Amino acid sequence: MSAATRLTGALATLAALPARVVEPLMHGLQKLLGIKRMPWVFLIPNLTAVLLFSLLPVFINIFYSVTGSDRLFPLDRPYVGAANYETLLDCRDYLDPSTCSRDLFWRALGNTLLFVPVQVAAMIGIALLTAICLNRDIRGRGFFRGIFFFPVMLSPVVVALTWQWILQRNGALNGLLTAIGLEPINWLVLPDAAFFWSVFVTVWAHMGFFTIILLAGLQSIPRDVYEAAKMDAASPWRVFTRITLPMLKPTLLVVFILCVIRSVQTFDELYVLTGGGPGSATILIVQFIYETGFAIQPRNFGLAAAASLLLGMVLLIFTLVQLRVARGRSYG
Amino acid sequence: MADLVLEKLRKSFGAVEVIPSLDLQIEDGEFVVFVGPSGCGKSTLLRLIAGLEEATSGDIRIAGQSVVSVPAADRGVAMVFQSYALYPHMTVRENLSFGLENIRMSREEIARRVEAAAKMLQIEELLERRPKQLSGGQRQRVAIGRAITRDPKIFLFDEPLSNLDAELRVLMRVEITNLHERLGNTMIYVTHDQIEAMTMADKIVVLRKGVIEQVGAPLELYNRPCNMFVAGFIGSPRMNFVSGAIAEATEAGITFQAPHLPPLGVPAMAGKVRAGEQVTLGIRPEHFVLSNDGNGWPLQITIAEQHGANSYLHCTTPGGAPILIHEAGQSRIGRGDVLFAQPRMDQLHLFDAEGRRIELGESEADGRLGAGLP
Repeated sequence: MSAATRLTGALATLAALPARVVEPLMHGLQKLLGIKRMPWVFLIPNLTAVLLFSLLPVFINIFYSVTGSDRLFPLDRPYVGAANYETLLDCRDYLDPSTCSRDLFWRALGNTLLFVPVQVAAMIGIALLTAICLNRDIRGRGFFRGIFFFPVMLSPVVVALTWQWILQRNGALNGLLTAIGLEPINWLVLPDAAFFWSVFVTVWAHMGFFTIILLAGLQSIPRDVYEAAKMDAASPWRVFTRITLPMLKPTLLVVFILCVIRSVQTFDELYVLTGGGPGSATILIVQFIYETGFAIQPRNFGLAAAASLLLGMVLLIFTLVQLRVARGRSYG
Repeated sequence: MADLVLEKLRKSFGAVEVIPSLDLQIEDGEFVVFVGPSGCGKSTLLRLIAGLEEATSGDIRIAGQSVVSVPAADRGVAMVFQSYALYPHMTVRENLSFGLENIRMSREEIARRVEAAAKMLQIEELLERRPKQLSGGQRQRVAIGRAITRDPKIFLFDEPLSNLDAELRVLMRVEITNLHERLGNTMIYVTHDQIEAMTMADKIVVLRKGVIEQVGAPLELYNRPCNMFVAGFIGSPRMNFVSGAIAEATEAGITFQAPHLPPLGVPAMAGKVRAGEQVTLGIRPEHFVLSNDGNGWPLQITIAEQHGANSYLHCTTPGGAPILIHEAGQSRIGRGDVLFAQPRMDQLHLFDAEGRRIELGESEADGRLGAGLP
């Protein structure tokens, strides 16, 4: 027997080893449980993971939201009922955050309610425009696709620090303004400007992802439909509104849902870029939850848990609406 | 309605020349079929006429007007696409009226035209459906309807029947022919199916590698193909080719000699070919006379296909060359049999070494030769 055949033989034995060990085990289990219960054996690893890392935290969250004090250990936490929710929702005038007991929650909520529609509209609009441009027969198309997708691969902290470097008082942008003889502007200190740049930077960072999805959608529209439209004397605008947009609708719906969920979850870029400031101008709901629960002393786990449950509820409703719309579409 | 002239038309995609230089005249009201194997440039030619491709050089004139720099929509042509290219999110009615809305036609006129087209194509009850809810044949009708509503000077069809099943294809073939009768417009039809070409065309244009091989009426192409390519392409099943040489050429005629086959005397005008010249004899499967008396070529049957009304006998010559013979009705001949077959003298095609047709006689000679045969 040559060395090579011996090696092959040894490898074959090694490869067969798991089967040799597992097979008797499975046989034993099947005898013990019966064949009908066997699927559970295979499902348990995954179920355990889902239970441990998804379902359990939800229940822990519910538990924390109805208990008080700054203690972390559950047994040390007294039951307070709906007190956390009452604190969050306690307002004399819901239109004026300063009359609320937790005005930061309401400011964060207000900011989020403004941030999400503006950011989603800008994101989808610009991503669609980019996708349409990239879908054309332009020079260096592959290069531009890469360029627009590049920010998606960056870590959010890198994105934020890069833009901070550009936008801070003696940053790159102001350097440019001074160079052409303009007054420097304190971008991240002016509330409106900071809000604008919050939207801008998050759109810049995530747009590539949605561009790629929309590009795939655009490419799935058959070329000859466009040729038929050309023969039908359709103007570019008519082609866009009557052919491209309707045929892109399924893709747009997916992009919209994903975009809204991600927009509501925005946290890391803004936390590093503006820290929610100036004042509370760019604080969003997730940042409020994080600060209430972990950053500000004393740590108010219960209030943070209640706020995150409220946010979860809103997202759940939104997802249900999405499911409803998607189902309605496939049946109709 | 209009005539169409293509003059020195050239099209290349980068370094690839698809159409080297093409001249063609199509008369007003003609039904012209572009036919050729895939990749011969027939679809490109149609797209050039439609305005979906830009000509590299040359001119396209519709009713005397050069349209080479006119946008597709303003050329007065309408196209029926191979894939139908219906707008999937619009109803049939919207599909038919979209082009008319684009040119700001009045609502009443649009409604009138859509109704008229729908009635003509019997798709009135489908007007509120979407393309997804239609069968292949119905979609095809809608695609034709979309072309009709635009009232074009010229209709362009790009392999419109290739996605339909065989039965429906026959039906639609008749329908499109009828449509041409009724509308009287110039129609240009691209296909690779020579049966479609033969049955529908007033004029067939046979293309190969972007070059027109022959233009003519279907039977003209069938009876007098100008080269072996056209001879092999037009007619189904395809023509048999037997290569050989001219053994003798006299006043009375010529003698064709193929390896392993008895010599064949062919009545032909003197001076057309010289003794010793390499030629190819073309005989259509339907142009053999079978005999039991040992006259003609001895052929061995390898397969006898019985179609019921027709029989197709696949044979081999003693030299091993394949020959296909069509026999009307149901043949009694079976596999392994040897039969004797003689080409019909009035239906022979002779091609020179380059594959070009050699005329065997003048037209009156054709008549004279044909008169003596059954």
